[in-house]
Amino acid sequence: MNPKPPLPVPGLSRRSFLIGAGALGAGFALAGCAAPGGSASGVTEISFYVSKPEVIGYFDTLIAKFHKSQARVRVVRDSTSNMSADFVRNSPPDLGCWNYNFSVVEFVERGALSDLGDMPEAATINPDIKPLLKETADYPGRTSAIPYSLTAASVLYNKDLFTKYGVAVPTTYDDLVAACETFQKAGIAPFFNTYKDTWTIAQGLFDYTIGGMVDVPDFFKRLRAEGTKVDAASSVSFQKDFRSAMDRMVQLGSYANKNAASRGYGDGNLAFAKGEAAMYLQGPWALNEIAKTNAKMNVGTFPLPVTNDPKDLKVRVNVDLALWIPEASKKKEAARSFLSFLMQPEIQNTYNADNNAFGTTKNAPPTTNPALVGMQKYYDDAAFYLGASQIIPSEIPVANYAQSIALGSKPEPVLRQLDGDWSRLALRS
Amino acid sequence: MTLLDRNENDMAVVTSARTGAKKRTSHRRVDKTFYAFLLPGLVLFTLAITLPAVMGIFYSFTNSVGFGEFSFTGFINYIALFSDPSIRSAYGFTIGFALVTVAVVNAVAFLLAIGLTARIRAKVAMRAVFVLPMVVSGIVIAYAFNFLFSNSIPAAANALGFGPLESSLLANPNWAWVAIVIVTAWQAIPSTILIYIAGILAIPSDVYEAAALDGASAGRQLRSITVPLTAGYILINVIIGFKNFLNSYDIIVGLTNGGPGTSTTSIAMSIFQGFTNGDYAYQMANATIFFLIAIVIALLQLRTTRGRASL
Amino acid sequence: MSTQIPLATSTATGELAGTDADSVTTRRAGGRGERVNWPVTIVLIICSLAILVPLYVTLTMAFKTTSQAVDGNAFSLPAPFSVDGFVQAWNLTTFPRSFAISIGVSALTVVGTIILSSFAAFAISRNWNRRFFRWSFYYLLAALFLPFPVVALSQVKLTGLVHLDNPLGVAILHIMFQLGFSVLLFTAFLRSIPDELEESARLEGATTGQVFWQLIFPLLAPMSATVGIFAFLASWNDFVMPSLITSNPALQTLPVLQQIFQTQFSNNYNVSFASYLMAMAPAILVYLFTQRWVMAGVTQGAIK
Repeated sequence: MNPKPPLPVPGLSRRSFLIGAGALGAGFALAGCAAPGGSASGVTEISFYVSKPEVIGYFDTLIAKFHKSQARVRVVRDSTSNMSADFVRNSPPDLGCWNYNFSVVEFVERGALSDLGDMPEAATINPDIKPLLKETADYPGRTSAIPYSLTAASVLYNKDLFTKYGVAVPTTYDDLVAACETFQKAGIAPFFNTYKDTWTIAQGLFDYTIGGMVDVPDFFKRLRAEGTKVDAASSVSFQKDFRSAMDRMVQLGSYANKNAASRGYGDGNLAFAKGEAAMYLQGPWALNEIAKTNAKMNVGTFPLPVTNDPKDLKVRVNVDLALWIPEASKKKEAARSFLSFLMQPEIQNTYNADNNAFGTTKNAPPTTNPALVGMQKYYDDAAFYLGASQIIPSEIPVANYAQSIALGSKPEPVLRQLDGDWSRLALRS
Repeated sequence: MTLLDRNENDMAVVTSARTGAKKRTSHRRVDKTFYAFLLPGLVLFTLAITLPAVMGIFYSFTNSVGFGEFSFTGFINYIALFSDPSIRSAYGFTIGFALVTVAVVNAVAFLLAIGLTARIRAKVAMRAVFVLPMVVSGIVIAYAFNFLFSNSIPAAANALGFGPLESSLLANPNWAWVAIVIVTAWQAIPSTILIYIAGILAIPSDVYEAAALDGASAGRQLRSITVPLTAGYILINVIIGFKNFLNSYDIIVGLTNGGPGTSTTSIAMSIFQGFTNGDYAYQMANATIFFLIAIVIALLQLRTTRGRASL
Repeated sequence: MSTQIPLATSTATGELAGTDADSVTTRRAGGRGERVNWPVTIVLIICSLAILVPLYVTLTMAFKTTSQAVDGNAFSLPAPFSVDGFVQAWNLTTFPRSFAISIGVSALTVVGTIILSSFAAFAISRNWNRRFFRWSFYYLLAALFLPFPVVALSQVKLTGLVHLDNPLGVAILHIMFQLGFSVLLFTAFLRSIPDELEESARLEGATTGQVFWQLIFPLLAPMSATVGIFAFLASWNDFVMPSLITSNPALQTLPVLQQIFQTQFSNNYNVSFASYLMAMAPAILVYLFTQRWVMAGVTQGAIK
């Protein structure tokens, strides 16, 4: 830059400065006006929240279909809002389509979701699923949400690698360890773990080992009964009841890919699809992602054996999507009409078939995906559990704790911390 | 933040020096226009800053999740807070991190500032480069570094057979904070350098001439002239840096998001996370405590800088 | 709000502020190139790699194809050279709109900060002996000690209540967080303007408003530039405030979009880096053109 005194002549620079700023401001105003759609008369615009990254595109096509079927309601999809912030500022979406787990607990229990019990769709729900909802969060006397999609998750395995090394699907923990040894000797990572994304640990190793050893609903029922003091001395506690499951988690973690610590969900899908590991602890939502890399991959599923009794085998389920309408919505009727549209059997069942999930209504058809066949039997026998990480309230960063254990922390102090967090939370809420 | 205290002191000095001149006008009635000039800022400020601060303190005595039904719970949030190891560890991490980063940033920036004021080639271009990181958004650069730490560096270390770096620094609960220090320093060093350059250039050159005539070595000159004569600037940089680093948030979001585990969760992060996790009232109690700590630091700063009125 | 850029008062004269001052301050070493300290130059060049390499990686990654980007070798040159990443990032993040919003928020912040804080500073500095004005000054300054997290959550609630949960609200809050710092700068600067100038204007019958607009505000121009640059950088690069305050993600600023799309970028590193680059570039360009002012602003602060 050429030398010039740092203090310029006042008038000129100020004017040009303000003109420039004004021009920018005007541009901004224009952009602001152009952004939200105008409100044509007689049309209600509702916001629809769906954030599951794998199915955003799918819902966009459903929205387009809905727009074609009627002209009264227009749906604007939102996938990125901060849901808590939206509730805090009293402007939640008109219709939510979200995981029904720890993340909705506060919305339900503080009465922020409206009662859908009077909708005909509420009556079609499979009664077996209702306890799962209740176990997660409940507002007495209300149907706060209508479950839309149920997923069952277990171990995804590379059938070709299993065949190649003569490994049978393990049904006991010892078999599983033996299978891991076989793969390791052959230079193949038994598991592909992705510790960089904490949720993958929580839903995978953490939930699977606990679900395979602990009666999850019973555990939480007894834990709640303990009140505000949960520690080593109480009859039930994380440190007592989760201890052996965590030891198994640590042991199985030692069979993971070497670089697990720095890998994320995307890396995992890619690596598993490329045959870099024999097993992958992910739910069915990963199948479509894997297929993007390797469409012809021969994938199977089996529940993770954590004990040596095959009778303990169970799969992890979660209410992957549930529909709800907030009390604060001013367009409940329009939101309900889109909800009814989504709940039509041909639409809901197609969604669940396409996304490897199970239906939630009384007459939903069984799954047809060959990769999921390994879980059907357990699902039919109701040998399933809600993941522990889905029930622990969001105030407790359980996924981060699971990550600590996966990355080498001793389980005892982490579980002790969980007990402490649970007690403190019980105290203050 | 800034050197306001110094300026405040200056102001005090200056105004006291000027009172003589001003006395003349002081008994005159205030022109109402002055209120019109001051009030817009004052009123908006009260609504946008003061009111939320008061609200926050109010909610810290409830069990509110930010919406819906809530009830008063007295000091329960504070009681729970003081027995919460994750809160304690957030404070421990944040304060430790801020101390280390302040030391690193100031040491590096000071040396670079000396280099940048020496007789070097391409001085203008060089300064432009060293100041550049100041204008880059923290979260964006953190994402870029995230890629380097998770992928490039391990890949390079692998190729070279260098064990310690073969796994990602970000995935190591004991060392991930180092990565945060590196990126924070990367971004904070430029403004620190600029202040040091100002300090070094303010030293009259005849002091060095005299020292050189007396045969003082470069190292001796640094110890006996540069450091003591820029002490005021060092103090300023340390205080500004410490205050900024206590609020660390975006770079951590971009690098570790508080992990692995909860090992790099800062105070700001625990407050914001509590918000998305429905722990509104509890984290408002946390924020209130954080505010009290900030006030203590501010008072300390006032005392320290007052003691060094002449820079 | 984490990047409040510090300012130093310096007892030195304005000359040291700009880079252009270097020719003067190269201590009496005669002409250019004479007695260049080569060891220091070389050390500095090596150090500058720490800044240039990450930027180089950002640049090259952005121009790679997805398959090359994923190979983990960040230091290789793009082969083949591809703008795919930009095309995808451009569409995914709706770059033109988010760019316009980022610019709009920053521009409003800059203008609002300069106007409101020069107003307040003028009123305060001319009535310093009155308690109300003096206390107002300390009151505004208190914000410098207030950590943003303390007020953030309540601000979310309040902005929602008054329908300012949008870029306009973000700009207003940005202005409010700049206010204390900027009032401080302006007040310090106003002290250096001799009273006599104003007195004579008043004798000629100018009102306070006229004195401000015709006399004071033009004189404040250099400080306004400094204040404006700080306000621009703080606003443009801010992540946490818009991410919390703006409810409609379609109206988010560029830094926030990087976080929102981080999961959607997935393993398409070329797309993510193209997006990072597009978010960084404007601030870097502004910096290159206003370099002298930025440096002056940081070092110069209150001139006296």
